[in-house]
Amino acid sequence: MSPSPLSRLQTSRRGLLAAGGALAATGLAGCGASGRKDVTFYQSKREIFDHIKMLLAELDAAQPQYRYVHDVASNLSAGFARRNPPDVALQNYNLEMSRFRERGGLSDLSDMEEASRIRDDIKDLADWYPPYPGRTSVLPWSVAGAAVIYNRAIFDEHGLSVPTTWSEFTALCTELQDAGVTPIYGTFADAWTLNQGMFDYTLGGMIDVRTFYEQVTEIGEEVGPNAEHSFSKDWQEPIARMLELLPFHQDDAPARTYNEGNTAMANGEAAMLLQGPWALPEIAKAETGAEMGMFPLPVTEDPADLKIRVNIDLALWIPEAADQPEGARELVKFFMQPEVQDTYNVDFLYLGTTKDAPPATDPRIVEMQSYYDEARYYMGASQFIPNTIPWANYLQAIVFGEKPETMLARLDSDWASLAYRA
Amino acid sequence: MSTASTSTAPRRMRAKVRYNVPATIILLVCAITVAIPLFVTINMSLKTTAQAVDGRAFTLPAPLSGDAFAEAWSLTDLPRALSVSIFITAIAVVGEIVISSLAAYAIVRNWHRRLFRWSFFYLLAAMFIPFPVVALPQVQMTGMLGLDNPVGVAALHIVFALAFNTMLFTAFLRSIPISLEESMRIDGASTWQVFWRLIFPLLGPMSATVGIFAFLQSWNDFMMPSLIISDPRLQTVPVLQSMFQDQFSNNYNVSFASYLMAMAPAIVAYLLAQKWVISGLTQGAVK
Amino acid sequence: MSETTSTPPRASTPQRSSAPPPKESPNSPKIDPIYYFFLFPALLAFTLAITVPAIVGFGYSFTNSIGFGDWEFTGIRNYIAVFRDEGIVGAYLFTLGFALVTVIITNAIAFFLALGLTARIRFQRTLRTVFVLPMVISGIIIAYVFKFLFSNTVPAIAQTLGIDALSQSILANENLAWIALVIVHAWSTIPPALLIYIAGLVTVPEEVYEAASIDGASPASKLWHITLPLVSGYVVINTILGFKGYLNAYDIVVGLTDGGPGVATRTVAMSIIRGFEGGDFGYQMANAAVFFVISIIIAIFQLRLTRGKASFGS
Repeated sequence: MSPSPLSRLQTSRRGLLAAGGALAATGLAGCGASGRKDVTFYQSKREIFDHIKMLLAELDAAQPQYRYVHDVASNLSAGFARRNPPDVALQNYNLEMSRFRERGGLSDLSDMEEASRIRDDIKDLADWYPPYPGRTSVLPWSVAGAAVIYNRAIFDEHGLSVPTTWSEFTALCTELQDAGVTPIYGTFADAWTLNQGMFDYTLGGMIDVRTFYEQVTEIGEEVGPNAEHSFSKDWQEPIARMLELLPFHQDDAPARTYNEGNTAMANGEAAMLLQGPWALPEIAKAETGAEMGMFPLPVTEDPADLKIRVNIDLALWIPEAADQPEGARELVKFFMQPEVQDTYNVDFLYLGTTKDAPPATDPRIVEMQSYYDEARYYMGASQFIPNTIPWANYLQAIVFGEKPETMLARLDSDWASLAYRA
Repeated sequence: MSTASTSTAPRRMRAKVRYNVPATIILLVCAITVAIPLFVTINMSLKTTAQAVDGRAFTLPAPLSGDAFAEAWSLTDLPRALSVSIFITAIAVVGEIVISSLAAYAIVRNWHRRLFRWSFFYLLAAMFIPFPVVALPQVQMTGMLGLDNPVGVAALHIVFALAFNTMLFTAFLRSIPISLEESMRIDGASTWQVFWRLIFPLLGPMSATVGIFAFLQSWNDFMMPSLIISDPRLQTVPVLQSMFQDQFSNNYNVSFASYLMAMAPAIVAYLLAQKWVISGLTQGAVK
Repeated sequence: MSETTSTPPRASTPQRSSAPPPKESPNSPKIDPIYYFFLFPALLAFTLAITVPAIVGFGYSFTNSIGFGDWEFTGIRNYIAVFRDEGIVGAYLFTLGFALVTVIITNAIAFFLALGLTARIRFQRTLRTVFVLPMVISGIIIAYVFKFLFSNTVPAIAQTLGIDALSQSILANENLAWIALVIVHAWSTIPPALLIYIAGLVTVPEEVYEAASIDGASPASKLWHITLPLVSGYVVINTILGFKGYLNAYDIVVGLTDGGPGVATRTVAMSIIRGFEGGDFGYQMANAAVFFVISIIIAIFQLRLTRGKASFGS
């Protein structure tokens, strides 16, 4: 619009900033001044912003070549679309992200020594989503082990021990209810909590998630009532079981949100919450001193079926289109150092991904470690449905009283339609 | 509501100083509904984390705490983000007023010419294009043209608002009598001079309106800068603040402080400008 | 168009003929070329920044693009899928109903507020300032604040007062959640409509009312026969723009209900943007194209309804 927009931007910005005052440290002048190259580093999860910022400052001080630009704001889809994504990222690895990988958007890191230190079963976890053949594109950095969070004091008070079968679990809930204690705190207003909690736990406990998705992907367009496998068919039973959990929730569960659930747990308003380790620091924030523990939700009568829900909380990746691949690799190396990676996982209650990672010792998640090491886990079934299908909303409708058959049939047709137009 | 409105007209002409008391009272009551959410925001943001965690909106903060602001301020590097937002907004406001009023003037004075009339309908129709349709191609195009920065965002704001603004200016221009213009032309003024000396000043009230809309749209917009700007250091306030606004925290006080900080600049700017804006609006009445 | 190089400063006569009301022959002899300069650079930028991307986006609706990497042409498969998708049909019905209710409520309130605010009232300036204030705040923030109010404050108050119906959050009620959306959209979009009505109302000359009063017209009939026709152009602008805005409702919906509970408040714009972010780019472009056509039809219908009252279209 103007003859030299950039120079104008520069001047006016400087003027404004002089007024604003606090700019010197951030250094807008580009890479010229210090002779360092700018490397853009994207991070998801704002809860850990402070921690990552501290790590970046450390990395900046440790080497003279690169300066790392901390990015929490960029839109990744837009970045990839204009072929200008961040140079390196530490991000929650999920289906949406796997799309960039599947189409070759992420570079191969298999030659890095760090890649070989990652547990094979955890590397494979990333491949539950479509991989790009022949490349190690993502390095899992932390894994969340999720299950039933329970208030140890309440369990002790009522002389309850951790249940290992469905009937033990329901008996325990009934006992709590008889004693006037809400067994499970529901936060149905945030649909995602239904997905990650009662839905993923019952599904994962009753069906083989990975095999199921391989089957319906294979069937594709034909998924529906007449197919060998379909959502309506294979999920009917787990969903019915899931709905049996509803009476054990407090009355206003439909109106409560994730945040309120954490506060309620801290205040001992309920004995259990179906959440992941990310909720534990939030519960601790209320400073009530309530002690928490975790156990897998039993959904069958066989204790051998017990499994926990895992997901790749954070993974490192470098796009093919990175401007500074070398600087990006420096960062990956830095983040993969045991003292950096393990400290994060210990402090934030996640599980390590490397062969030599120390086991979790925090009493809140200590019960997760053995399941994790014995590969008794699944990825959440909800994590394989693309965002374009509003499954969280369908599930919420079911929980609010809609017939499961109706919503599952809709999911079938959405899935089939997706395959039809692919 | 209707009492207020219908009793308006007669009062207006009879007594100069007599106020319409029922209308005033009704409007004051209505104003409370505007104030409540704002009060809650300020109130919550001044609490400590421990007090805010209970989620009660109307208990007063005790003790009064500024922690939330300090935290929100340092996490978002607010001064830098503010300067980027101000830069984008300034270009958008000036650009929208000037470019749209010129376009509207050309359209109104040449309405009988098919080319101009159709241009107008073209703009109107394009106004209905849903943003997502153009989003991705725009992302690619601004990337190719090197406009994946605040300048590109400001330019896109101007263009996006063109149809709406032209519509407003066109409606207003039709109420300006042509006779004023003709006498000026007889005195030998060019179209250029007529526009700048006569028409543009007369457009004051509508320019004020367009200016406010332009300011608010570009100030508050999240989607466009988040998609278009590629350098995270050149991001705007709403985009950076969005990281406080997800649902993964029960620090209500920090969240509300960030809401307040997101609102505050626009509210302050609006309060400073409102004298000019409101009088700009009422200027029309004098005419 | 005629290419006569008129000398701008002296060209007073041709301009006279270009006054809007009298219908001139479409090829009036002279046009000051500066008018082209006024309009066409803007038009060109508009075409480059909006029309061209829209055409490109429309082109993607015939592909299986995910918004990144390679894609293939899939013909009209996406369109067939759109019409088969019951979720999308539901979103269209909800969006249309929601937009209709909101546009009526918002315009009615804004119009009467504007009448009140242009009357002889005390604190006129302060009140105007206050009523315009909600416009200043971005939709997503408004949504978060109201979400907090609806899910905590309102039920708490209702419980103290013993009002059962409101003691549960209306956001958790599939039949009532849309009301919350209407309230919040009205709260945040009354100001722009209000400003436009005020700007319109203050241009109505007082003499008109005086003349009517002398003729003995009642306040109601003055409102109906004088005020409304005089500001009808602004009513048209506000309803068309309002409708367009509510049809595209996105950020408040996401912040407040996220389309729920269940799928009770899922809007079309939400489906489109979610799909766009969810790697379903080509399909949602087809959806958006259908949506565009429907929006245009509605706008034309609105214009037809108000034909003659509109301040444009001669």
